Amino acid sequence: MRLVVERFTHNALALLAVTTILFFMFRLMPGTPLAAFINENLNADQQQAMLEQFGLDKPMWQQYFIYLGNLLRGEMGLSFFQRRPVTTILLEVLPNSVILTLTSLIIAYAFGVLAGAWLAWKRGSWIERVAVPAVLATRAAPEFWIGMVLLALLSFNAGWFPSGGASSPGLAYNNNWQRIFSLDYVHHLALPVLTLALYLQGLPLLLMRSNMLEVMHEEFVTMARMKGLSEWRIVIGHAARNALLPVVTAFALGVGLSMGGNVVIETVFSWPGIGRLLVQAVSAHDYPVAQGAFLMIALVLAVMNFVADLLYMVLDPRVSHGRKG
Amino acid sequence: MILEVDKLQIHYSTRSGVARAVDGASFVVPEGRIVGLVGESGCGKTTAVRAIMGVLAENGRQAGGRVVFKGQTMDEATTRRLRWRDIAYVPQSAMSSLDPVYTVGSQLVEVLTKRGTHSRASARARSAELFDLVGLSERRLADYPHQFSGGMRQRAAIAMALALEPSLLLADEPVTALDVIVQRQILDVLRSLQQRLHLSMVLVTHDISVVAYLCDEVVVMYAGQVVESGPVREVLARPRHPYTMGLRNAFPDLLSDALELVPIAGSPPDLSEPLSGCRFVPRCPFAQPACSIDSVVTGSDGHRSACRRDAEADTIRTAALDPRTWQRSSSFAMS
Amino acid sequence: MAERAEPVPARASWPLLPVLKRMAAMPLKDPFAFAGLVIYLLFVLVAVFADQLAPVDPLEILFTKAGKLAANVPPGVEFPLGTTNLGRDIYAQLVHGTRSALAVGLSAAIIVATVGTIVGLVAGYFGGTADAVLMRIADMALSLPFLPFVIVLTGFLGASTSNIVLAVALLLWPNSARVIRSQVLTLRERAYVEAARVTGASAWRILFVHIAPNILPLSFVYAAIAIGWAIITEASVSFLGFGDSTSVSWGMMLQDAFASQALSRGQYAWFVPPGICIVLVVVAGFFISRGYEEVFMPRLRGR
Repeated sequence: MRLVVERFTHNALALLAVTTILFFMFRLMPGTPLAAFINENLNADQQQAMLEQFGLDKPMWQQYFIYLGNLLRGEMGLSFFQRRPVTTILLEVLPNSVILTLTSLIIAYAFGVLAGAWLAWKRGSWIERVAVPAVLATRAAPEFWIGMVLLALLSFNAGWFPSGGASSPGLAYNNNWQRIFSLDYVHHLALPVLTLALYLQGLPLLLMRSNMLEVMHEEFVTMARMKGLSEWRIVIGHAARNALLPVVTAFALGVGLSMGGNVVIETVFSWPGIGRLLVQAVSAHDYPVAQGAFLMIALVLAVMNFVADLLYMVLDPRVSHGRKG
Repeated sequence: MILEVDKLQIHYSTRSGVARAVDGASFVVPEGRIVGLVGESGCGKTTAVRAIMGVLAENGRQAGGRVVFKGQTMDEATTRRLRWRDIAYVPQSAMSSLDPVYTVGSQLVEVLTKRGTHSRASARARSAELFDLVGLSERRLADYPHQFSGGMRQRAAIAMALALEPSLLLADEPVTALDVIVQRQILDVLRSLQQRLHLSMVLVTHDISVVAYLCDEVVVMYAGQVVESGPVREVLARPRHPYTMGLRNAFPDLLSDALELVPIAGSPPDLSEPLSGCRFVPRCPFAQPACSIDSVVTGSDGHRSACRRDAEADTIRTAALDPRTWQRSSSFAMS
Repeated sequence: MAERAEPVPARASWPLLPVLKRMAAMPLKDPFAFAGLVIYLLFVLVAVFADQLAPVDPLEILFTKAGKLAANVPPGVEFPLGTTNLGRDIYAQLVHGTRSALAVGLSAAIIVATVGTIVGLVAGYFGGTADAVLMRIADMALSLPFLPFVIVLTGFLGASTSNIVLAVALLLWPNSARVIRSQVLTLRERAYVEAARVTGASAWRILFVHIAPNILPLSFVYAAIAIGWAIITEASVSFLGFGDSTSVSWGMMLQDAFASQALSRGQYAWFVPPGICIVLVVVAGFFISRGYEEVFMPRLRGR
């Protein structure tokens, strides 16, 4: 329990640090903050509202606490261009990003764990000698480039998948959930997921493989063999169970990390997610949206770091059950 | 004889060639006795018992000889059948030989249900019984290995080994990792269980005082070969091979304060090199030129030695008691 | 394992030379690391001789003999990889892109390795407050989402290659600093360091004469990894449109191809080669770092 509090505090402080860095980054940028926030697109009332909301006339430290207070209430201001609350815009696109990330990660990790365990099993064979450098190459390829190649081959050339977006134009849905569970959505999701999964599978695969190789040399695996347990039980029940620990943790971390990395994938496939929103907002100098999107990604990262810590504690009895002596 | 090891050859293929870790070792384990397999590390003791369990490292293979258990020559199929049910193993480090992510109790239940004929319920009852047998509270069944102390883990490992009521126990350095007081306790547990359950046992150790404390018979191994064997009292009181004499000088007595400890200079030979004759020659203060040509096993069935100068054993033994003898570095000193 | 991670135990002599010797000999032992070095060498040669290999200005708009714009010419004798939709020579862009890739990769690698090594050495050797403060800063940097941070920074500070390098360095140094710190912690307790301390050598002398040379292979590993990361990041940022539009880079080529519908036209010769070049350089970094880890830090990785 003490450990949980400690990890929570650690991740919460990290998030606070990120928010602070972001605050000063936005305010210490070249040019005055007024110039950055006040835009001729806004009418006088809106300008006044914004000044008050952000308290831009107050000293920097006061502004900082107002900003933190607003964040805690989930208020991130208005978008310069859409003239809607940033929070609303973020919550609109967040499900798309979460679905893209989770689907890809689940596929990547399911494949990576199985293939990694299999490659460990096949060590010394020619398959391993070819597969390991090949997997390293998938880790070395820029995600967006994998996306471009797949797009050219499977969408433009073969015509199997749409070239971008999350739904076909002209289709109407009663609500967001109906849209998300439609076949059309899945069809649009397939190629970005394939790309992301292809990029992400390398880590769990290599991790699982090296963990398996290490665990297979552990004495308790030899003991299981001496006990005459079946090969299946030894490999799955003992070796894989132990080798899986770091992979599960990596999965949780991966959710946080790839939310940030999705920026490029979402751009390649025009996927209306939080990463693409960030890119668009930065290009358009829509500061409130850029700041909000960045914070949302940082929040997911921090939460998932914490979840990873928790998972590690739950899964490894050496951490969850203290020493009794 | 419950176990006969006959001219066993175990080879490891390594980068620098074939290492003959066990090179024609023969010994027997009489029913209901404790046989100590003693020698420095790297002499092939552990390899020999692991070969009996059929769990050699990937690069190891049995290149010759045979192992006979209760009259049956062990091949892959018999080994697989007999494992744990008839021949069980007590490891050196119970910590690394227990799976860290399962409770000790569930690992006992696993072997009882998967290898034995127990149902889950009877397995749980049997686990409690086993823990009681080795002096552990059954409440600790729910604990994970890392929550045990070193001595408790070793007791748990013994409980694990006894789960399916084997007739032969192979214990590989079962007390080496423990401090002296706990060593005594564990050895006492082993002895009382051996007597109560009428177990036969092979105890691998580098510590000749452990052999003196617990064993009935002793087999001294050097460089993959057996150099001396016989009843413990006889061998330790009147060792006939200089290596045994050296070992005796090198270890403190478990029970009494020993005389000055005299280590044997040098270390066991590189087994990937071709060797001929007696392998102890380079470190033996009593070696003669003929010793490097071949070796002969002499002695009655009770007490056998592989020293060429066996006839002079009594003289050599007296000289070996003098620590200065072992300071002589050169071979052929007394020739 | 051919050699252990044991540092050279020489009492008085400077361990730098033997360590350098072993580092130089390592690629001969590990075929992957050797392949990695060969790939690096090839790209360095291409970068150096770019003007000779591709005499055409990569940004020049080319015309056919008939005086028409040489747009979207398929690969052939005159243009090995064809031309862009604006009539630029793709092969020339690819060759000249090597220069900016190496510039980005090497400068980021040097900053990451230098900062990471110095921070790791100081935090590990002196411990205490310096250690606590430096490691908290490292934690902070690691909790920033990588690519979004680079985008925001370049988006606001201006799209220039040096800003991208800065952002990459800012986020990557903590990884190397952490590992080097833990290595220093173990080295600090070694007998020869103890001996130097007893004979009255100053802390800085011990740090730079006795410990730093043994850290060198590790710094090198992180430099090799940073090269790859920096190049991928530069490509990603360029692709998203926050790159330096005046320089020719692989990322800018890919962005150009994507924005100019090269995908729907199936101009594979335009967007496949830059990606392959990126993969090669990054993989080379992986191979080299794996090789060095295996030889110098066998404990750090699995079999």
